[in-house]
Amino acid sequence: MRRIPWLGLLVVAVGLIVWEAAARAHHDLAVHFPPASAVLWALGGIVWSGELATHALASLRRFAEGYVLAAGLAVGAGLVLGLSRRLHATLEPLIELLRPMPSVAIIPVAILFLGIGDRMKIAVTVYACAWPILLNTIDGVRSVDRMLVATAATFRLSPWQRFWKVMLPAASPQIVTGLRVSLAIALVLVTTSEMVVSNDGLGYYVLDLQRSFQMAEMYAAVVALGLIGYALNRLFLLLDSRVMGWYRGATRKEEIP
Amino acid sequence: MFFPPLSKILDAFWGGLISGEIPGHVGVSLWRGALGYALAAVAAVTLGVLMGYWRRVHEAGEILVEFFRAVPAPAIVPVAIVLLGIGDGMKVFVIFLACSFPILINTIDGVRGVDPVLIRTARTFGCSGPAILAKVVLPAASPFIVTGLRIALAIALILVVISEMVGATSGIGYYILEAQRTFKVPRMYAGMLVLALLGFALNRCFLFVDASLMAWHRQRAPE
Repeated sequence: MRRIPWLGLLVVAVGLIVWEAAARAHHDLAVHFPPASAVLWALGGIVWSGELATHALASLRRFAEGYVLAAGLAVGAGLVLGLSRRLHATLEPLIELLRPMPSVAIIPVAILFLGIGDRMKIAVTVYACAWPILLNTIDGVRSVDRMLVATAATFRLSPWQRFWKVMLPAASPQIVTGLRVSLAIALVLVTTSEMVVSNDGLGYYVLDLQRSFQMAEMYAAVVALGLIGYALNRLFLLLDSRVMGWYRGATRKEEIP
Repeated sequence: MFFPPLSKILDAFWGGLISGEIPGHVGVSLWRGALGYALAAVAAVTLGVLMGYWRRVHEAGEILVEFFRAVPAPAIVPVAIVLLGIGDGMKVFVIFLACSFPILINTIDGVRGVDPVLIRTARTFGCSGPAILAKVVLPAASPFIVTGLRIALAIALILVVISEMVGATSGIGYYILEAQRTFKVPRMYAGMLVLALLGFALNRCFLFVDASLMAWHRQRAPE
């Protein structure tokens, strides 16, 4: 059972108090930076009114579709490219050309081809997420110790069994790393595409609140976004511990005493 | 046509280049990115060493770090606009915040992973606290720190583009979006080409600096 981080909580509490006091003492500051109590009140308000839920669900839906699609496509492609040296060599120039370009730059192109609806947002999310997953998967497959596969062959495992029972588990830590990185990227792309062109979703919501000078609500929405991001991360860690428990236990780093 | 022939794209690319328009936007973007990145590097490595070395400091800051880390960087842009307007300050601030986290996390990881035996050995040689940090901990943790700096470089570029797409009148991100909005399609692709080249060049520079500074360290730490 984890120890309760008293010191950390204390720091947070002190921070909140300082924030509250500073905002209350300086009225000019409070215009741009309302006191913590106001933000909390606003948070309650947007939750209660259902506004937050509407936008959050829109974003989460895009996130889920984009992420799952990216994972499926990129893991699949990564496995193929990792296994086939020839295919990888053929596609490598294209990969190296597109790879350095920041994935957000694809948004204007996507708007051109797909308009400003959900399809565009999901498409850019898929594009951005695919890269870390793809590259990590290729890397993971290629760095599997050939000895393991050869040993499996001497035990007369079929190619399919060698893939499924040896290669895939051996590559999985790297694949999971890619999946973890693109979790954050998916959230970034969904938020960004909603800010650039949308009329719902948390990205749009935060920007809209800023434009209509609803400061407390804006900070509340940002806090909500942070909590959602945090929850998604925890969810990922939970799944990770279930699926990858065998690896995590075996490779745990020792703590400095 | 949404996908003009390569010749037209290269035309727009070359035209923008020699007219000075593209270099102008690139210069502005680079300036913002570099400033935010540099500030993030200094602040995050410092804080990371502190949090990595002293358990108390880590405990104190962990909750805040974990929370702020989870906020997607674009969401900070409206907040930054409120606090700093829509000028360069806002962009530098957003880039600074977004880059800080990977550097911080990796630095903490690196410092925590330093072999305690190394530190104890230095102490038996009579090394003072600051000297241990500078001569033992920092070099030992540097592969991790470098990893964090590399990740942050990519993030800096992304945030430069994002902040310029959401609130700007200059910079390469603005250039691409504006080209799309006015349906100057070859221009848009030219801008993307510029970005790809920029990303490539920055990566190369980083690898070069990394190779020269880290030549003593042959084995790379895993990501």
